[in-house]
Amino acid sequence: MNRVILIMLVHLSLIHAQDELLELIIEEKDISIPVQATFKATRIVNAQSIELPRPKTLEFMILHRFGSMKDRFYNLFGMDEAVIRFDLKYGFNDKLSFGVGRSSLDKTYDFFTKVKLLNQTNGQNPIPVSVGIFSKVEIQSIDKDLAMIDRLTFDLQALISRKMNRSLSLQIMPTLIHKNLVEDEDALHDLFSLGIGGRMKLTNRTSINFDTFLPLGHRPNSFIQSWGLGCDIETGGHVFQLMVTNAQGSYESKYVEHATGRFENLNLYLGFNISRVFSL
Amino acid sequence: MRMKIKFILLIFLIPLYAREIYFTRNGDVSFFSSTPIYDIKAENNQVTCVFDRDNGEVSFRIPILGFNFPNGLMQEHFNENYMESDLYPNATFKGKVNNWSNIVLTNSYQSINLEGIMTIHGVSKEISEQGKIKFKQDKIAGDANFEIMVADYGIEIPKIVREKIAKVVNVNVQLQLKKK
Repeated sequence: MNRVILIMLVHLSLIHAQDELLELIIEEKDISIPVQATFKATRIVNAQSIELPRPKTLEFMILHRFGSMKDRFYNLFGMDEAVIRFDLKYGFNDKLSFGVGRSSLDKTYDFFTKVKLLNQTNGQNPIPVSVGIFSKVEIQSIDKDLAMIDRLTFDLQALISRKMNRSLSLQIMPTLIHKNLVEDEDALHDLFSLGIGGRMKLTNRTSINFDTFLPLGHRPNSFIQSWGLGCDIETGGHVFQLMVTNAQGSYESKYVEHATGRFENLNLYLGFNISRVFSL
Repeated sequence: MRMKIKFILLIFLIPLYAREIYFTRNGDVSFFSSTPIYDIKAENNQVTCVFDRDNGEVSFRIPILGFNFPNGLMQEHFNENYMESDLYPNATFKGKVNNWSNIVLTNSYQSINLEGIMTIHGVSKEISEQGKIKFKQDKIAGDANFEIMVADYGIEIPKIVREKIAKVVNVNVQLQLKKK
């Protein structure tokens, strides 16, 4: 009997001696870990992602869409033509960014801001989603005779995203586009839609991305729902986004409401986004 | 007989409760790497270290997300692409000071040798590195500088950034351990 107790004690003390040193002092504190890199770039394909330019950095982005692929080799799948938008945006901190852009389509200038209201966190007291607001003023300048007030279009979006796991991220984007000037009398000034986007990582540095905008409410018969399918390739300070989409314009009122391409006859557009980051 | 058991019990239990444990939860670990194109540096002051003064055993836990870079994009890439901190949230070291029984702590630095297992990015490797240690005002101060080969821990540097990211990283550790 005593021998048994002795052996037990010896064992007990051996177990104690093997105690992890760290366990002696680690207390499970309330740690919440902010989720980062829900998307690699500030765009998913066409759509705005929840990501902002990083604090104190300037991001230069070129959004290049070729012409329609419908003429095939005759104009090298649209590569003879191009619509370009470029923008410059600045991250003031991890919650607020501001930018300006210019697109060759309708010679449109734009000013925009993205604000992050909520960041998804894991751990104690998790926050399930990140929430942001994106707003933009577009000023078209192709029509020289228009009054300033008639040139304006306003975009307002809520960006709600969740990084499901290390490779899958999803986002929904309730969107309002307000046009001061519409094409004909019974067209609506306010257009609502619901954007859906996501990305699936293939490797640490590449992913497949998709986004589309479902129209809410009435649209004319000529309306085509827009979509974009692309892939991200990250190389240090750059992100390349290659895509095929049915919308040639790369600012909100164009890619949400004015998609023109269809699968028939390969009437779609190839394109790419490149972003380059400068630390200030 | 009963006395004997109590005696044995005491022998085994006393050392446990009298262990002289020194620790910190905000030790500093920083690293630096340099190539002709980029210098990369980051600091982490959330490092947990526990040291057993009785037997010289030491244990580190370094939260990867705790590394702060001057450049936010680098920090994101460090976590997402290289360290994969969602899979491997901590780097750890478990080891002991060589010849601890022969070392007498004084209030001036003396060199020691640390041996043990370093785990980074889920890969464990036996290491042996030099450090300095002293005892002053109830605190043990530790200091170490060493190099890590990135490839030793299964951290892949893609070809396209190979010019910018060094294969060897200099690590600096500075600790002030207080008694538990």
